[in-house]
Amino acid sequence: MRPVAGAWSLARRAEREARRAAARRAEDAALGALDALLASRLGVEAVDRVLSSDLASHAVGKALEGPLVDAIARDVVRYAVLERLAGGVLDDPELERALVAALDSPAAERLMTHVLESRLIDEAVRRLLAGEELWLVVEEVAQSPAVTEAITRQSIGFADQVAGGVRARSRNADAWLERAARRAIRRPPADAPPDAP
Amino acid sequence: MSTPPPQAPVYEGLVTRAIALAVDAAIVDVIALIVGVGLGLVVSTLGFSHDLRVALLAFGGVAFVVWTVAYFTVFWSTTGQTPGNRLMRLRVCREDGAPLSPRRAVWRFGAMVLAALPLLTGFLTVLVDDRRRGLHDMLAGTVVVGLSLP
Repeated sequence: MRPVAGAWSLARRAEREARRAAARRAEDAALGALDALLASRLGVEAVDRVLSSDLASHAVGKALEGPLVDAIARDVVRYAVLERLAGGVLDDPELERALVAALDSPAAERLMTHVLESRLIDEAVRRLLAGEELWLVVEEVAQSPAVTEAITRQSIGFADQVAGGVRARSRNADAWLERAARRAIRRPPADAPPDAP
Repeated sequence: MSTPPPQAPVYEGLVTRAIALAVDAAIVDVIALIVGVGLGLVVSTLGFSHDLRVALLAFGGVAFVVWTVAYFTVFWSTTGQTPGNRLMRLRVCREDGAPLSPRRAVWRFGAMVLAALPLLTGFLTVLVDDRRRGLHDMLAGTVVVGLSLP
């Protein structure tokens, strides 16, 4: 029985090898055909026709109308896609260099000048000042305890500073007047050592 | 650890004390003026007789004197500092550093008026006295010392 079993096993292995080789050849042929199709004018034309067809518009419309968008949005939030993207992009030194170069460029300066000189900014400021909301915000901020406390502290500090200046000057004037008075009546200055007997 | 020796008091001079007194005088006068104007307006609308108005004027004068005396004596005998003294960082105390009694504070105020009467010459002794005392300080046994900054 043993020679028969060995022959059977050998035959099975040979069959597996032959199947695997045939599958590999079929895969290579399919990929080659796909590459040829993608590189050909026919492939480009086919894609153009599909994308410009009503069917493509209908498919996209249906996809946007259905639950797909909600599902994508949920997954974007769930897997922190934006944070990962932003983190990856913002940490990229190449991007930083490119941004700095773009901001330093004369084109960026011209663009900023155009924006600042445009009527849009003037109009936005005019509307902001004309609206009541801004003044409500200003009033809220001005009446907030933090602001009033800061103003009070600053006022007290200023008054203290003025009083300190007056005190220093008055004490100088005291010393000067006293020296003059003592000189007039021929008395020694108050801080002079007493005369020896 | 030894305690630091007590610092000798710094006696305050004429200009500093004059500024403090001017501030106090302004406070006393402004408050008296506001009250006087308010009462005057009320009296003018009530149509009092001439004699009654004279009596009210005399009462107002007495009230002003009482208010002025009370202002100074209460501050001197409690904290030792009027608002003007506080501004200039001064303190009125007895020669041994103790606070003034109400009686001594009233006496000091009377002595201050006496010192002011002969064209303020009673204050000039501040310039030559070793402890910078005015005539009223000598009479009341008080000194005016400066307070160090906290």
